[in-house]
Parts: sequence; structure tokens; C-alpha cells
Amino acid sequence: MIKLLKREFTALQDDPWQLALISYIPLLSIIGLWLLFSAGLPRQLPVAVVDLDNSQVSRSLARQLQANPVTKPISYTGLPSAVEAMKQGEVYALLVLPYGLNRDLLTANPPIIDIRYNSQFLLVGKLLSSQLLATMADGLKPLGELKLLANGVAPERVAVSLSPISTQTTALFNRNTNYVGFLVPPVLIALLQLLAMMVFANSLNRELRWNTTEQWYELGLWKVIAAKVLFYTPIVLLHGSFILALIYLFLELPIAGSITVLLIAQTVMLLAVWLMVLTIFFALKDSARVISFCTAMFAPAFAFMGVTFPVHEMPVLAQWWRVIMPTSHYIETHIAVVSYGQDLQASLSQMICYWGFLLLLIPIAILARKGFPVTEESELSTLVKEQ
Amino acid sequence: MSLLQLIWSEIKAVLADKTIVITVFGGVLFYSILYPLPYLNQVPTKQQVVVIDHDHSSLSRKLIRDANASPKIEVITEVGSIDEAKRWIETGRAHGLLVIPADFRQDLLLGKGVTLSYGGDASYFLIYSAIVEGLVSAGLDVSKDVQRMGLLGKGENAVAVNQSLDVVKLNSIPAFNPSLGYTPYVVPGLFLLILHQTLLIGIGILGASQWKKQGYWRQVSPFKLICSRMAAFMLIYSLLSSYYVGYCYYWYDVSLQASLSQVWLLMLPFLLATCAAGIAFSSLFTRRDLPTQVLLLVSMPILFVSGFVWPTALIPEAVVAISQVVPAVPAIMAMLELNQMGASWQSIMPQWLQLWAMVVVYSGLAYWGISKRLKPAA
Repeated sequence: MIKLLKREFTALQDDPWQLALISYIPLLSIIGLWLLFSAGLPRQLPVAVVDLDNSQVSRSLARQLQANPVTKPISYTGLPSAVEAMKQGEVYALLVLPYGLNRDLLTANPPIIDIRYNSQFLLVGKLLSSQLLATMADGLKPLGELKLLANGVAPERVAVSLSPISTQTTALFNRNTNYVGFLVPPVLIALLQLLAMMVFANSLNRELRWNTTEQWYELGLWKVIAAKVLFYTPIVLLHGSFILALIYLFLELPIAGSITVLLIAQTVMLLAVWLMVLTIFFALKDSARVISFCTAMFAPAFAFMGVTFPVHEMPVLAQWWRVIMPTSHYIETHIAVVSYGQDLQASLSQMICYWGFLLLLIPIAILARKGFPVTEESELSTLVKEQ
Repeated sequence: MSLLQLIWSEIKAVLADKTIVITVFGGVLFYSILYPLPYLNQVPTKQQVVVIDHDHSSLSRKLIRDANASPKIEVITEVGSIDEAKRWIETGRAHGLLVIPADFRQDLLLGKGVTLSYGGDASYFLIYSAIVEGLVSAGLDVSKDVQRMGLLGKGENAVAVNQSLDVVKLNSIPAFNPSLGYTPYVVPGLFLLILHQTLLIGIGILGASQWKKQGYWRQVSPFKLICSRMAAFMLIYSLLSSYYVGYCYYWYDVSLQASLSQVWLLMLPFLLATCAAGIAFSSLFTRRDLPTQVLLLVSMPILFVSGFVWPTALIPEAVVAISQVVPAVPAIMAMLELNQMGASWQSIMPQWLQLWAMVVVYSGLAYWGISKRLKPAA
């Protein structure tokens, strides 16, 4: 076995791309993706404010927006320029304080405050919509209070009669609805799966490129595969643990369970990825096609994880596709451990759902027995011929 | 070899290479179905919520019924304690909870304030926001009912009561994507990225497999080769983009605002710039399996940096600046502004000119790269 591991090591040494893939490329990609979302909490999102009333009330409402950390009001004098800014994506929402706002309030004619939010950018739009509504409701409260006081309600009863039911909303497991905690783990796990796929596929493809498939079969088909698994699992797992260390140790995002359980879950996920790559490799037996096919399979994994869009809202077909993605099994364990503090035992029983991947051993065995077509020229031999 | 013959041999070379055919045609068709698949139901509805009712009064039951009437929420059961609710959430049977305090109705009738507690599983933001929106609106409704009853009881007339309850009407409406659907949100940007990536991969593999071999590509000048290659891929991709931008956008309910000629005018520099970038990029490789891997790695970053998933204002400026060299980044923004948000042509001029500048720069790089690749053997 040690001989076989050495063989993998020498193979790795003279493949610069593979070396890059297991060393600096993952680190750069992980840090790059984290940087994208590093702001974590959306702040200072530009909102167009068109104040057609220019009264004390309308200005105080605009000031309310200034006080909200999420919104950054930008004043527009007329509606057309604000609409244009909205269409160009310069502002994400538009608030119109109508002419006669103050007068209508005084004469008890309910005025209409128009809010338009950009739902093409769904994430920002939804956030702004709820923030604007809350800010406006808050800003209008003093007016209601004044009215009640004028009607002779006792000052200590004003708050209660204004809103008899107050509410307390708790974002469970992610207290301040931080996007780093929500989005970065699944994005990085999807990346890890892509990296794992490429590393393993490259290692298999190498046998084709250097025409060492005969040597492979002589050394023992399964032994070499086992050596590859033993060699690459710890390496990719290292990057997996880097992801976890970055999110839960360096950034200190809350984690209820233990990181060790997550590492075990990652190992199982990687084994499932290996099985899928092996199946595709033995089915296609051509380096570029293996990569293309694996890419087609694994690239959309993020969409199917069910973090951004809930699983139970997906159509049945999407749920089936989801089942063949190792990451979607992993992310369930991940969220359970991170949010709910699931222990090792429960996580292990959750991992039983990977059993389906073991069925891939059958097609692998059948396809591998067929061997490789002898006629196919490897790139090396064509190279030699040219020279 | 005339240019037309050269274009024809380019197209033949593309169609003869199974890997490129799988990536370009197979990939584009496959992804047009697979990528939007999870989002077909558009909006999350009926999120399971458990209720902890410590009051058991007519009003608390009304509140639960109101919450259940919201399309976003489905009250699945009542549990005795918060611990029990926590277990429901942890096992994935429920995603939110509503706590109605003891003496809820009595306190309201006595004119004391009460506090309702809502909780949602924020491990999933879309579920969380649906639950909170549903519960908050149910709570507001009940609150208004209580106020209305109180005011009517004091002998005020009904019209005046309604007026004093709604001091101001907040008319909040989503613009550009009126249904708040998920496919109109994801599809326009994502599909341009798919076109961009498959085009780069296709040209990349074609180039990588040619540099070390003999063939028609060595018999012509680099300039002619670039022209013919761009023409060949433009031909293929004008068909594929018609399918994406023409048919798929329509099929997935994306809002369409621009005219055909405007969209065509925008796609032209985008495809040209991508072709040129692809040719320049292909001269970096001699291994056929590498272009796919490199592009796969940058796919996710390009998607997130393009500004429709996560606002550009929140991304570090250096990252945004670097991303401007990718043709897909200005193209996605320009397409969204022009076609989905109905901006005028003038307003996307900066991006459009940026794309043309890319055409020039990448063509230059492609010329340089190809001449280098073809020189030693020539």
C-alpha cells in the first residue's frame, strides 16, 4: 500500500495544475468567496426619497430613514429622476411623500405614502420593503400619540392604546440574521465539492494521459483506487477544515455542536463524491469528457442544497436531483450541527441516507472490468510522435 | 483558404469534437432546464409553524385562525412549551413558533399591553422571512380589531374609527418583478453567465486540442483564424442566445421590457467580447481538461460579484474592480437594467462601451496569444 501511495505522490509532483488545486487555489477561492459576503449585514442601501410636501412631517419621516442603519436616503426633487435612478439600479427602493401630506394628516384625510422596492434584486428588495414599512410606522407614531393626547387620553395610556399588541420577533439560530452565517457555509461547501471532484477526476485522468492504465490493472484495480482515496481524502479534508476554521473559529460565528462531527460528515460526503466521479470516469474513459460531465453534474449543486430556496417547496424532480448531490446530504447535517447542536449519534444515523451511493459500486465494478480501449491514443503518445 | 471555407472548417471542428458538443449544446440545453428547476414554485408558501397558546381564549384562537389564513403560514399543531416547540424545529417538522402569553385576552380587554413572540428558523432566510411576514400581519390584524372594538365601544362612529386606525396608507409595491418570484430573479443573470461560461469552455477546449497538432489552423494567419473562429462561434451562440434570451426568459416569467433590437445590440458586444476572451484564454492551455476546470472555479464568484444576488455596494471595492474584466459582469447588469428594469438605452451606454473595449483588448490578447502558440512549429 505504501508503494501505491508513493506512486500517487510522484504522480502529484509532476502535475503543476493538480498541485495548485490542492494548495493555493482552494485557499484563494475560499477567501475570495468569503470576501464577497464579508459585509455580512446589509447596511446603507441607497433609497430614493421624493419629498413633494416639504413639510415638517415629511422631513421628519425622511430623517427616520437616515436613522435606520439599513437605508441611506438620497433626495430627489422630482419623480422622473428618481424613477430613472431606480431603473438603473442606483437606488433599490423609492419612497414618495405626497404633496399635502401634512395638511391631509391634520384634516384626517388618510394620505397615501408610496413605496416601490426593486424586487428584481429580490434579496435587497425584500429587506428594504420590510425596513421601510417598519421605519414609516415608527415615524408616524408621534403623530398618533399627539392625536390621542389631544383627544384627552391619559399620557400613560397612550402607548398601549396606540398599539395594544407589541411583538417580539426572534431570528432563531442566527440572532442578527447575518448573511455570512447563512450564505457562506453552503457556498463554500459547494466549492469544496467542486474542488474534490476536480482533484479526484484529475488523479484518475492522469492514468489515461500517461497511458498507465495497464500498470494500474496490474497493480490491482481496487488497490490503486483505495490508494487514491487514502491519499486525497485527507488533503481535501484539510481544506474542508480550513473552511470550518475560518467560519467558526476565526470569524467566531456561533456553532452549537462540535466541529469534529462536521469533519466526520465531510469525510462521508467526500467518499460519496469519489464514488460518483469513479462511476463517470469508468463510463466515459476520456479525460476532457469526464471533466465536462462531472462539471455539468456538480456545478448547480448550490441551487439544490435548499438553503436559499426551501427544499419542501421544490418540485419533485428537483428533489430527486437533490438526492444524488452529496452536498445536499451534508448541508442537512451541517445545519443540524451548527444550529441545533445535533450530537454525533444523531448525525451518524443521518448519514445512513448516503447508502444509495454505495450502489454505484456495482456499475463501477462492471464498467471497470471492461478495461480501457487499447486503440485510444493517449496525449503523451501523440506528443512523442510529433517530436 | 478563403474566410468562408475557414469558418466552415471551424464549425466542422467544433461539431466533430464530442466534448465541445456536450459542453456547448448539451450544457446549454441541460442547464436551461436543470438550473431553474428548484425554483419553479417561485414563492415559499405554507411554512409550518407551531403555536404555544398559554391563553386558550376566544381571542387567542382567533389569532391562530388569522395566522393560519395567511398563505405564507400553516399552523400545524399546538404544543405545550417552548422546549417542545424547539424539538419540533430541530427535527425539521416545523420552522417557526408563535407564543401567545397567558391572560392575552383579559389583558387586552383591561387595556393593558401584551407582547406576542414570534420565532423563525433563520438558518433558512426565505423561510424565516415568510414566517415573520405572515405572523406579523396576523398580529397586526388582531391588534387593529382590538383597537376598533375599543373605539366603537367608546361610542365613536365607524367611519371615524377606521380613519383614526389608518392614519396613513402605506402603499408598498414590488417593482420590476411583481410576483416576487424566484425564477424571474435568478434566471436573467444566471442564463447570461451560462452562455458566457460554455462559450469560454468551448473555445478553450477547441484551442487546447489544436495547439500541439497539425491542421488547417496552421495554414492561415492568426488574424484570419481569430476572425473565422469568432464568426463560427458567433453563429452558434446567436442561435443559443436566441433560445435563452428569447424563449427561456419568456418561459420562466421573466419580465421583458426592452425591444428586440436593443437586446440584440447588447448581446452583440457581449458575445464578441466573450469570443475574443475565449480565444485569448485558450492560448493558455494545451491540456483539454483544464479550461473547464478553471472556468468552473470562477463561475460562483462571477455570479455573486455581478451584483444581482448580493448588492455591489456591499462587496469590497477591490473585488468589484477586478471583476470588471469579465465580460459577463457588465453584460449581466446591462441586461437587467435594460430588459428587466426598463432603463433607457443611454443609461447602459457605459457598460455597452465597456464591452466594446473588451472586444478590442481581448482581440489584441488573442492575436498575441495565438501568434505565440502557432509560431514554434511554423
